[in-house]
Amino acid sequence: MHIPDGYLTLPVIAVTFAVTILFWAISFKKVKLDEKQVPIMGLLTALFFAAMMMNYPIVGGTTAHLLGGASLGLILGPFAGTISITIILVLQALLFGDGGLTTLGANVLNMGVIAVFVPCALFLILNKVLKADGRKLYAIIFVSAFVGDVLAAIAAGTELGLSTPTFQYGLSVAVPAMAINHSFIGVGEGIVTMILVGTLLKVRPDVLSKSPILSRLSIFQSSKKTRKCGVRLK
Amino acid sequence: MTAEKNRKTNSKSLRKIVFVGIAVALIFVLVGAFVLSYSMETLDKQADKLGAKEKPVWNAPFADYNVSWLENAWGSLIAGAIGVTLLFVISYGVASLLKRKNRHG
Repeated sequence: MHIPDGYLTLPVIAVTFAVTILFWAISFKKVKLDEKQVPIMGLLTALFFAAMMMNYPIVGGTTAHLLGGASLGLILGPFAGTISITIILVLQALLFGDGGLTTLGANVLNMGVIAVFVPCALFLILNKVLKADGRKLYAIIFVSAFVGDVLAAIAAGTELGLSTPTFQYGLSVAVPAMAINHSFIGVGEGIVTMILVGTLLKVRPDVLSKSPILSRLSIFQSSKKTRKCGVRLK
Repeated sequence: MTAEKNRKTNSKSLRKIVFVGIAVALIFVLVGAFVLSYSMETLDKQADKLGAKEKPVWNAPFADYNVSWLENAWGSLIAGAIGVTLLFVISYGVASLLKRKNRHG
C-alpha cells in the first residue's frame, strides 16, 4: 500500500503531510513507554518490516501485504505505534525504494495513523460496550484490525483518486478497488493481531498491562482494583 | 521462594521472546524473498488505470528489496536481513530514548 513518488498531486501531498505532522507531534509528546515495552517495540517493528516483504496474491492478479498497525497500536499504544510504523516507512523509502519521499506524509497517514488509531479507538469502544473477555475479546481484536486495514486502503484510494485530473472518475475507480482488495488482507491482519496479542497474553501479560489500550481489559482492571484494596488495607 | 520460582518459570524472559521473534522475522524475509516475492499492488494497478506514473526522486541503495550485485532471491534475502537488523536496532534505540524522556518529563 506504499504510494510511490509521482502518483499524488501537490494539494494532496500538502494536506496529507500536514495531518501526518500533526500526528507526529502528538505522538512524540504523548508517548509513554515502560522499560518492558522497549524490546517489544524493537521486535515488533522489525517483525512487521519483515511481514511487509511477503506479498500475498489476492484477486485479479494483485497482491497485498500486512500493515501491522493494529498489532503495534494495541500492544504498545497508538502513539508508539505511529512512531514505530514511521520508522519502518522512512527506512523503506530511503533504503528499499518502497514508497516515495514526497508521498511519505500520505503513507504514514494511511499505514501509521489510520491503520493504528482506528483499531485502537474501535477496540476501546467495543471493549467498553461488550466488556470483552475470552472469545469475545478475540472477536473485537479481529474486527478492530480488519476495519483499520480497510479504512487505510480507502484513504490510499481516496488520495490517489483525488490526484487524478478527472477526480470524480478517479475516486469511483480507486476507492472501491482498494477497499475490496484490501479486505482480504484485513482478514489476515485480524488473525495475525489475534495471534500476537494472544501469545503475549499467555507468556507476558505484564507487558500488555503497560499498553494504554489493552490495559483497559477487564482482567487488568480487576487486578488493579485488588492491588488498590491491598494498599488501602495496609 | 517457590512462588518466586514459579513466576520465573511461567513467564518467558523478554530476551527469549525477542530472539524467537527475530527468528520468525528472518523466516518471513526468507519466505518473502523466495516464495511471496511477486508484488502487483492494487494501488499500482489503479494508478496505471488513472494515468499516474511513478517518478522516483531518490535512488534507494536496496531498491526493490534487493542488492545491485545479485538481483535474485538471495539478494532479496540479504537486503531483507539487513532491513530486519537495522529496524530492530533503530526502533530499540528510539524506544529507549522515549522511555528516558518520560522518566525525566
